[in-house]
Amino acid sequence: MLSKDGGRIKKLIRIEQIKILNYTPFRILLLLYVVFFTLGIVIYPLIDKEIPVISLSDLFRFPDVWSFMTWVTEPYNILLALIIIMITTNEFSNHTFKTQVIFGLGRKELLSQKLILIFLLAVFATILVGITTISLGLIYSYKLTFKIAVESMWYMAVYFLSSISFMTFGLFFALTIKNTALSILSFIALRSFVEPVLFLILRKTEVRWFLPMRATSRLTPLPNLMEIFQSKMDSAEPIEDTAMEILPKGLPIWQNVLLVLGYLSILIFFSYRIMNKKRLT
Amino acid sequence: MNILEIHQLSKSYKAIKAINKLTLSIDQGQAYGLLGPNGSGKTTTLSIITGILKQDSGGFLWFGENPSAKQRIRVGSLIETPHFYPYLNLEKNLKILCEIKKQEYTDIERVLKETMLYDRRKSKFRTLSLGMKQRLGIAAALLGDPEVLVLDEPTNGLDPEGIAEVRETVLEQVDRGKTLIIASHILSEVERICSHLAILKQGNLLASGAVKELLSKEEVIEFASSDNERLLKKLKASKLIKEIEQENGVLLALLEQNITSADINNFAFNNKITLTHLVSRKKSLEAQFLELVKE
Repeated sequence: MLSKDGGRIKKLIRIEQIKILNYTPFRILLLLYVVFFTLGIVIYPLIDKEIPVISLSDLFRFPDVWSFMTWVTEPYNILLALIIIMITTNEFSNHTFKTQVIFGLGRKELLSQKLILIFLLAVFATILVGITTISLGLIYSYKLTFKIAVESMWYMAVYFLSSISFMTFGLFFALTIKNTALSILSFIALRSFVEPVLFLILRKTEVRWFLPMRATSRLTPLPNLMEIFQSKMDSAEPIEDTAMEILPKGLPIWQNVLLVLGYLSILIFFSYRIMNKKRLT
Repeated sequence: MNILEIHQLSKSYKAIKAINKLTLSIDQGQAYGLLGPNGSGKTTTLSIITGILKQDSGGFLWFGENPSAKQRIRVGSLIETPHFYPYLNLEKNLKILCEIKKQEYTDIERVLKETMLYDRRKSKFRTLSLGMKQRLGIAAALLGDPEVLVLDEPTNGLDPEGIAEVRETVLEQVDRGKTLIIASHILSEVERICSHLAILKQGNLLASGAVKELLSKEEVIEFASSDNERLLKKLKASKLIKEIEQENGVLLALLEQNITSADINNFAFNNKITLTHLVSRKKSLEAQFLELVKE
């Protein structure tokens, strides 16, 4: 049974491989994604010299570098989600979902193809973040022990989850809206417009933490910058940003993770439902 | 062996009933034609049995089993216009389909050569002309040498040469014992290729069965002689004709079953009447089809 499933997964991977490796927009977007990361390693140190008082290199030290990097690179997930949306809506506009079904691919497998792609892209993204973070950490940390280095490494796992969730959101939009331009617009609108507005409207309640996209991006929240910079400044009392209400506390991390996993399950469930019922023209 | 069994299949699009309780049975080795005017439900039926569409009610069995992707692998299909990845070349497109069909990539060369597309194998799909795209669709349907071919208007967009090639390819498959399900409104082609027919109109099945039975064996002949009056009287008395009438100096007769024009010729000779004109007119499939559909 296991080997049969493994063979099936490998078959789906080979099929997606042929599709995406020859698809120029995919290669460009992925290249862009990698470029953003490498630029980061180069740019941050340059900015560092410009800002007085605070030393940015504090952020690049272990263990805080983990939370900082995962927070900074989280928006790049939009690029990845865009890739997924494009690839999926293309299958509709090229009518290639129909062709694949006629030739003997199951409806479920049409979806599995994309989910596997999401998984692989998330792995790629996480590894990239890992490499970048470790590099920066090694460069900027002066007090380095193995324990300090891996202390906050769990941020990688959380980053992986946020990456998968974001792309799955994109997939769901693509499956329901089918049109490339509309899907991308609605997706970006939801994240950058609708949810922030809802967040404001619901600012007196706890519910606002449950908005799906916000929950996903808060998996890798803004690190406690004040605390980080504190270590350099001599201050009698540590200042907490929650006390100043600059940044509200939100949900504890494990609750957030469960919430996002919940959303993920719902998305995947309904995605399969859609694929099974749909008329593939 | 029963290849495909359709039972009480129905599908409506909002208020329009596309197919209405369709029941059909197709056996191995049959070349089964689905005939009907546009909108009769041919494409809807083929879409349902190839998994594109879900029916409202009724069911169907492939190879005696409930339908699933596994059986579709054994069936080579071309439904409406063939759709491939425009930015991939022919070879890569077929590689993807080979993976789905669980076939070795070596099969690609065979089907491309069969449809004269081999030297374009590195061209991107979007650079192909309409006729070539159609040929690729047929090539793809032949991948894996499937036991069954399901073709929806396979000669669509092809020039006469292309149509002849398709006919040849299809007939070769039939000769090799493959089962063929073909939807077409080009009656002359269907007449040449098919052993069985189903005639659809507005989603309903008008007639189905072997072509030999559906096609009337009745021959209509037009003839003239040195003595039409006497010939007319003699023929009316004989058991050779069903109907006969005279028009503009020419006799038209609908012959009885299994009577041929040669028999009429002999009859006239035996009665010492010479024929000056004899033309045989078999009632074509087209005429019968139009008649049936008009009702």
